[in-house]
Amino acid sequence: MKAYLAIFRMRLKMETQYRGAVIGGVFCQMFFGLILVALYRALYAGRPQALPLSSVITYVWLQQAFFRMVLSSDGDLADKIRTGAIAYDLCRPLNLYGYYYLRAMAMKLMGSLLRAIPMLVLAILLPDGWGIAAPQSLPHLLAGLFGLLLGLLCVCALENITMAITMRTLDSRGMQAMLNLLMMILSGNILPLTLFPDSWQKVITLLPYAQLLDAPIRLYTGEWALSQFPRVLCIQGAWIVFLVALGLYFWRQNQKRIVLQGG
Amino acid sequence: MDTVKLYLKSMKMLLRSQMQYPASFIMQTIAQIVMEGGEMMAVLLIIDRFDTLHQWTGGNLLFFFGMMSVTFYLTECFGRGVTGAFPSLVRSGHLDTFLLRPRGVLTQVLCHAIDPRRIGCIGVGVISLILGSRQSAVIWTAGKALLFLESILFGSMLILGLFLIEAIFCIHSVKSIEVVNALTYGGRSACQYPIDIYPRPLRILFTAVAPFALVLHVPSAFILDKPIYSLPGFAAFLCPAAGAAFFLLMYGLFRKAMTYYRSTGS
Repeated sequence: MKAYLAIFRMRLKMETQYRGAVIGGVFCQMFFGLILVALYRALYAGRPQALPLSSVITYVWLQQAFFRMVLSSDGDLADKIRTGAIAYDLCRPLNLYGYYYLRAMAMKLMGSLLRAIPMLVLAILLPDGWGIAAPQSLPHLLAGLFGLLLGLLCVCALENITMAITMRTLDSRGMQAMLNLLMMILSGNILPLTLFPDSWQKVITLLPYAQLLDAPIRLYTGEWALSQFPRVLCIQGAWIVFLVALGLYFWRQNQKRIVLQGG
Repeated sequence: MDTVKLYLKSMKMLLRSQMQYPASFIMQTIAQIVMEGGEMMAVLLIIDRFDTLHQWTGGNLLFFFGMMSVTFYLTECFGRGVTGAFPSLVRSGHLDTFLLRPRGVLTQVLCHAIDPRRIGCIGVGVISLILGSRQSAVIWTAGKALLFLESILFGSMLILGLFLIEAIFCIHSVKSIEVVNALTYGGRSACQYPIDIYPRPLRILFTAVAPFALVLHVPSAFILDKPIYSLPGFAAFLCPAAGAAFFLLMYGLFRKAMTYYRSTGS
């Protein structure tokens, strides 16, 4: 257990090393956020919807702030698999799944917190109608935060499954691009899931991709009442158990028939 | 003329080398189609929910989207040397060899790479254009067709010019600074939709600084018979030249930057 904690801590530290990249990232994400907000403001002008504009804008800002959690960011492993350096990792007296799970989690957690905090401060400072709205209430905020944490567990499990598939196919760029895209669409990054046709929403909010950011944001904005919170927890919990189990199975299978690339 | 021949020959060679791994190529092309298809789906879903955007109908919006994706991905396909490969050329010192050969540096950089997978994105853009022009009931004339081609040509020059900014920074700093691409990618996202829906600061940015609006939106609006900025018809034919001007400006700066180029020595 101590070893895993050490990995987690090391990765957290590593993420804080690239401050220039963080500032650049915040700048880009703010710019994109502003463009999206301008677009939705124009779309809402003179055609009111059931869903208030302020909640779409809040959705956009929270999505932009935690963008780093969505994309798979660990290029290391893909390289290791291609070059055969993964042999070193196989020698470690650790469970490989746990090792990469914690690595991914630390990167996503630190990477997105470093960007999200300054971004959310900036988004609060924006003039009325452009910035992020306050949460419905304090319990809503706490429910959202807790949901975000479970969502993070969910997305790390998903990412590990992607990596397991990478191990089998070697050149995974096509595959990875497609999985990333699925993630971008179904997590609400390209278009808020709240703007999808209502009949689609019934299905896509149940998928694991929606658990990461969509569910916590809906709890935050109050679109889902607190009475829905247990239901969200159950869905998230069920996905975590299922995805971790599936990932563990894949990784174990992979380790049985691993082929190392020489060179 | 000689240069054109050289360029075509390099393209043929690069294409052949890319086709050596057909499975990977097909997989990645499909990924590109899905990617751009996802973007198009977002537009379709927005149309489904909101019907219109100010004066623009759903068909109009699809046309604007198609213009941007065809132009942008044509540039990424043929300009790969600038849009993708340049930082690694500088970092690895490979650019040195270009300085010794009796051709311009930019020509050689353009000859250096091609990205045929982008054909998937371009295809999605073309479908969007066809759907958009059908649904908007565009009456095509020779003039409009000419304007359409002009817009795409100058649009590609504008986007290539924007990517040159990154190259210029890269020559000075070796490391590629992705922040400078905010204008390029931000422009692509923003200008998938017509310029007049945005508030003034964004309008100014994408008209006067990175003139996407002049190069893509003014001609598109003319083709759709809904002129923006209340410009007369002939202006639609003049505005896209802003793309060429932007490219020439950046090209000048690029040449200047090259005089400061110092090899990494590796």
